[in-house]
Amino acid sequence: MSQQEAFATQRPYQQSWIQRLITPLRRPGKRWQGGLKLKDYKSLSNGQPIKRHALANSVLSVPVGNGRTSATPCVAVGQQLKKGDVIAHGDHSTPWVHASTSGRVTAIQTAYLADRDSEVVCIQIEADGRDEWCKLQPGNPPRNAEELSVFAMQMGLVGLGGAGFPTGIKISGAQQPDMLLINGAECEPFVTCDDRLMRERADDIIRAADYLASALSIQTARIGVEPNKPEAIKALQHAIRQRTSTVEVHTLPHRYPAGGQPMLIRSLSGRKLATGMLPAEVGVFVLNVATLYALGRAVFHAEPLVTRIVTLTGHVHKPGNLEVPIGTPVADLLREAVPHADNNGVQVGGPMMGHLLTQPKAVTSKTCGCLIVRSTQFFPARTQASDCIRCNRCIDVCPMALKPLKLYEAYQRQDGMTLQQEQLNACIECGACSEVCPSNLPLRDSFREAKKIVVGSARQ
Amino acid sequence: MNLRPKSTRGIMRAVVAAMVPGTLFHALQFGPVVWLQTAWCILFALLVESIFLYGRKQPVRAGLSSLSWLVCGILMARALPLMVPVWMMLLATFTALGLVKHASGGLGCNRLNPVMAGLGVVAICFYQQLYPAPLPQAPWTLALDYQQILEQQLLLAPRLSLDSISGATPLTAGFLSDAAPYTSWLGYLAGGLLLAYIQVIRSEIPLAILVSAATLCILSGHTIQEALHNLTLGGLIFAAFFIATDPVTSPDSRAGRILYGVVIGLMTELVREFGLYADGICFAVLAANMLAPQLDTIAHSLFYPWNMSKQGSNITLHR
Repeated sequence: MSQQEAFATQRPYQQSWIQRLITPLRRPGKRWQGGLKLKDYKSLSNGQPIKRHALANSVLSVPVGNGRTSATPCVAVGQQLKKGDVIAHGDHSTPWVHASTSGRVTAIQTAYLADRDSEVVCIQIEADGRDEWCKLQPGNPPRNAEELSVFAMQMGLVGLGGAGFPTGIKISGAQQPDMLLINGAECEPFVTCDDRLMRERADDIIRAADYLASALSIQTARIGVEPNKPEAIKALQHAIRQRTSTVEVHTLPHRYPAGGQPMLIRSLSGRKLATGMLPAEVGVFVLNVATLYALGRAVFHAEPLVTRIVTLTGHVHKPGNLEVPIGTPVADLLREAVPHADNNGVQVGGPMMGHLLTQPKAVTSKTCGCLIVRSTQFFPARTQASDCIRCNRCIDVCPMALKPLKLYEAYQRQDGMTLQQEQLNACIECGACSEVCPSNLPLRDSFREAKKIVVGSARQ
Repeated sequence: MNLRPKSTRGIMRAVVAAMVPGTLFHALQFGPVVWLQTAWCILFALLVESIFLYGRKQPVRAGLSSLSWLVCGILMARALPLMVPVWMMLLATFTALGLVKHASGGLGCNRLNPVMAGLGVVAICFYQQLYPAPLPQAPWTLALDYQQILEQQLLLAPRLSLDSISGATPLTAGFLSDAAPYTSWLGYLAGGLLLAYIQVIRSEIPLAILVSAATLCILSGHTIQEALHNLTLGGLIFAAFFIATDPVTSPDSRAGRILYGVVIGLMTELVREFGLYADGICFAVLAANMLAPQLDTIAHSLFYPWNMSKQGSNITLHR
């Protein structure tokens, strides 16, 4: 569907009269069922201010796709580029790609993305170390949603929370929402990039939120932050007072996964996102704080999305939060953090939803927010899986009210029918069930596999 | 402090630890026979478990390391009446671990509670030989020493009858007044509360059992005091906290577990009031085990999960 068609078919979200009666009485930040408290190790890196990652003679590989769709490269090998130059054109469903530093194109070849666990076409740029911006033309921010969605595509904006969904498509499919929800939960342990961003650049975030709310004609904007980030909450509230903004800051329940989309929507708006529904269908527009910040930079400073903040933490000498150009090799970042000698591998993403890095030559993409150097202290070795004793702990912690033990049983029988009946597609793969399982069953990993079975049986 | 065990082994250890006070109280009242019976049952449980693991070509060491056989042995020793012969313990353990647990696919796959199934088989097939078991009013086993008990258990000596012990019958007034009140339930209650506190068992099951049993007792014409006293009799507290809370055979939802507890409580009380057997817990638990999936379905239809619209689930089903 093109963006114009999407606008033609959208309907405003209508609450029923009873919902309209109850909604003002509801306090946002309401708890949902399930979830678990994790030891969050945030103090390792949340005291470190965001630093720019210095590029000296390094070779960047800027990915032009995400494994599913890919933009068309429009540069030639040998071409000189400035930071922010367009290097690949997208279309209505693919964001454009920009050079993340100034330098020379050396090759167009595949490289391995750290967080996608796959190889995609990348444009290799040899950095000249000057990191010069191209000529930016700020001013003329897009006035309405339609303009904004095209603009977001051209600025290469994607969701920085982890899914990497193009923001332009999200805006064009928003169906006139009445609530803007901003996700500052950062519920994964270790990760502190959004925390630092909210502490240091709260003003930009609030400004962007105000702008986005007016562009989408939304009255209510709410930021949800987990209560383990009091400084970030304070900074946001301060910025709101300064700008006399109407954005509200709410604390979310301090339980993993408070930042999962259905949980966030439930706690901030009280609306229930049923399985298979899009947030637009319940009239909310959800954005990560980092994405919102990038949107603000794009709108007010005409800067495309070329950097992101990456948390380097775990078993390292110098943990920290770096502002990293997209496409920086993971090895460069690790050199910055100086891992201890007795580490065992690097975890990409959070400890719950991330995975072990298998390729040492991997590069960072727009969705790679955290690198954790593993050690036996932070990631104890899992003992061998034994039998399920149906202790029901997985059911208790499942935020989506699924029955992981039944799903696992069905997966072992390769029973696609039961997997569908037990709502496997509602699983958000948060890994809470694997975490609490006393028998150490690989629940989350088998559900990832099982989703392939279900898709396979649906195709037949 | 979070004392909740993090592994299956830890859960089993916690159950074993929680059985200690009850077993101690029991042994104080009934003498060395308690220890002997526990030892026999654990031995048989270990034996049967290893044989079946070996027969099913499962890794024996790994299978034994979950300690579920130890829990089964200890619970079996407490569930069987005292002074039963050794072969009966072996039969009950064989039924529990071999026929109920391993024949249905190993740990976590059985529909029936193994211990109660083992007890049920013995109770139905060899009803006459189970009694006279020592009663709290007549703890005559206290006077026996290990050798005498062993001779009894291995059937080497003629079976004791109450009159042959020191010439006294329990009906003489002196003997009855000497008898301590039945106190083991205090130990089981303490152990059960400990398990509930460290979240190994779900407290809603024993609560539902005790409340429903007491309610039915009052409804059938007893006073409140009698009803409460009734709860402490027999193995009700033991079964409510240690047997019925077996996660494998109880429902998967909280509402289902409450219904499950109510079924057990009511059925136990019905058997006690009107039934042939002295204690109906065994049959109540087995019946509720078989009802568990249905109870789950009822609970599911009562409380729909927050994130699933009925419409949504239909779409998935018909796809």
